[in-house]
Amino acid sequence: MSPLVIRRRAADARRETELAEYEKVSDQIKITQRDLEQDGFSKNPFFHGIIAEVPEHLKSKDGHPKIGYSLYFCTYSSWKGRAVYMEDLYVRPEFRGKGIGKALMAKVAQLGLAAGCTQLNFTVLDWNKSSLDFYLKQGCWDVTSDLGYHCMRCEGDALQHLAQGDL
Amino acid sequence: MKFTIREGKPEDCKDIERMIMELAVYEKMPDQVKISHKELERDGFRSNPYYQCLVAEVPEEQKSKDGYTKVGYALFFYTYSTWKGRVVYMEDLYVMPEYRGKGIGKALMATVAKVGKEKQCVRLQLSVLDWNKPSLDFYMAKGAEDLTAKEGWHHIRFHGEALDNLAQEAP
Repeated sequence: MSPLVIRRRAADARRETELAEYEKVSDQIKITQRDLEQDGFSKNPFFHGIIAEVPEHLKSKDGHPKIGYSLYFCTYSSWKGRAVYMEDLYVRPEFRGKGIGKALMAKVAQLGLAAGCTQLNFTVLDWNKSSLDFYLKQGCWDVTSDLGYHCMRCEGDALQHLAQGDL
Repeated sequence: MKFTIREGKPEDCKDIERMIMELAVYEKMPDQVKISHKELERDGFRSNPYYQCLVAEVPEEQKSKDGYTKVGYALFFYTYSTWKGRVVYMEDLYVMPEYRGKGIGKALMATVAKVGKEKQCVRLQLSVLDWNKPSLDFYMAKGAEDLTAKEGWHHIRFHGEALDNLAQEAP
């Protein structure tokens, strides 16, 4: 395959949001392209995105040269300082097995280190053995298995009551 | 007991550093704390801060045995869900042992939720150690769901040499 290009231009990432919406289960998606544009491209963005792009002659069967993306943002560890969290990593099925996912993840790591981050964090489902094995082989640490950290979430009515001080 | 919850200021960072260590001791990992009040000041109080914080303070006449009036804190930041949008992540919630059971932890967490909702966040997320039953019970009582137990999510991390090696492979 010809050299892969990874871009960070706002215009590319904006168009890539269509792919993100299309590929996920539609009833779970509560935000729109407009939300993504507002939240990712304002003065204090909530996230950053990078795009994997192939040359025109290698574009996908349905005509897209943009064939993968990663969405990430900076977080903070009160023990270690600046960190980067990779929320999404995606490569279109016909382009998998060619190192594109790894290249995207490596780029997020490089950008994170350049910003003074000492960790790259993300989550994986416990039944997703092939992904877990892939990450563990790269030297990752399963913080949930090894240390016992559980991910917790408040949303909807529970969040509303909490914010009102009801609970 | 009278207490106030207010936004953290740069001059609070030494007390926050103290309480971060107390929390790390409670979580049985004090050797994992590598940053000091200097990094907290640099990273929390610039034009694009990496985190926000709240401090719980008691009046002088109710100061702790060791003379502290800053007796609790919450440290949080904004994250993003590509399905649901803006999220507030509560990295730390801590109240000194002698001030527990008086509603301070709840007030801190409620303020994080309120600040998050004002920013149109639709979720509040955090992590808890699986053996930390008092905290798990506290959060579940407030309507939190354990996504690890319920859906199987595992938190994965690259750091140190593994992170350096990965970054070197970037095109």
